Amino acid sequence: MSRGSSNPTNPDELKLLPDALHATAGLPAAPSSAALTSSLPASPQITATTPPARQLVDRPQEELEIIAEDLGLKPRLYKTRQQLISAIHARRQLIAGMNREAMVDVLRWANRPPPPGASKETLAHEIVSLRTMRFEGLTQRGLVVLAALRGLEVKGDEPIPLLVRRLKRQESFFSKINRKRRTLLGAVVSNFIGPAAASPSRPGAPSDATAEGRSLSIKHEIEEAGLFGGLAGRIKKSADGYVNQKLDEIEARIDRKLDEIDRRLAEWRDKEIANRILILKITLWASVIVGLFSLVYSYIQIHFPR
Amino acid sequence: MPRIDFFDFFRYALGTVVTIYATIVTLQSVWGWYVWLAGSDKYISLVRRYVVVHGLRLRIRAFWGDVLICILLTITFFILWHAHHLIYDLGNSLADLKTVRNTHEPRLIQSNQSR
Repeated sequence: MSRGSSNPTNPDELKLLPDALHATAGLPAAPSSAALTSSLPASPQITATTPPARQLVDRPQEELEIIAEDLGLKPRLYKTRQQLISAIHARRQLIAGMNREAMVDVLRWANRPPPPGASKETLAHEIVSLRTMRFEGLTQRGLVVLAALRGLEVKGDEPIPLLVRRLKRQESFFSKINRKRRTLLGAVVSNFIGPAAASPSRPGAPSDATAEGRSLSIKHEIEEAGLFGGLAGRIKKSADGYVNQKLDEIEARIDRKLDEIDRRLAEWRDKEIANRILILKITLWASVIVGLFSLVYSYIQIHFPR
Repeated sequence: MPRIDFFDFFRYALGTVVTIYATIVTLQSVWGWYVWLAGSDKYISLVRRYVVVHGLRLRIRAFWGDVLICILLTITFFILWHAHHLIYDLGNSLADLKTVRNTHEPRLIQSNQSR
């Protein structure tokens, strides 16, 4: 049995349902499962061992809309339920075909280190939640992934300026207006709290994130996430930095203690070996002295008998 | 009748008892450590590896002078042992010569006198 069939919910190996495939291609709906079963030749009785996973078609509309939003789709653009399901399947296939390293590039650039062992769909959720329109420092493959998840048709070999231009052109008028409003608000807040507090250093941030990621000021954070979102994000980052700094200090203290224990053990080992060798040396000296005395005694006894 | 030297007897008896005692105690200790370190517990295997690492990190240079003295003393001890054997052989030869002299000299004197 293949891995995909044993674990149908694995997001890395998604396959389109027959119904969805036909609907996407504009073909008439596929025959029902009963009709499919009846068209197959008679086979031995099949016993189901595990209940089938819950398919998209079985889910309520609200849940489908949440899944679509998590994948970067806009549910209101799809008039029928079947179209929405097809779009979700298509988006999942698109994510499954993406370069994982490129997705990690995007998250590192956005100062969101990916959790170890995260699936591609999890990474895609994180990327979709990025609202920024500033793309400085992002790699070409990262831009391709970002553009694809924002609904652009990309081939993968487009140059960076073209991708940036298309991403900016894709932003709607009202989104742009809202972003400008948030930028203005961010500038006011940034001026209010001062430049030093607006872009503080992050002592607890991971080294790779600080090396590769962009450093956001409070102005840019408010521009991306709004006033409360930006302030909350900044507070969260400060708290994270403080906790990370404390954890590093604790780790360094534990390391120092372990080194001290190791050093003392090595000293104890050297001292113990030196003591053993000294005891052995004393024993050998005693044996040799007694042997010499015995030799002289034997010589006198033989040459000067009583 | 065997000749018994009490000094030799004391040395051999003491040497035998002490050697057997030290061997038994050493083997007991080594066996106890071996059984303890051969355990399959996670922490025991950690300790085992740590002991191996400490053994590998041991610097012989710190002890090489004392080790050299011990080796030379051991060689001296065996040379003295060999010298004892030579002395004892010499003593036995002298004792045999004395016996021969004591046995044959009176006979020779007697035969010379009878002539």
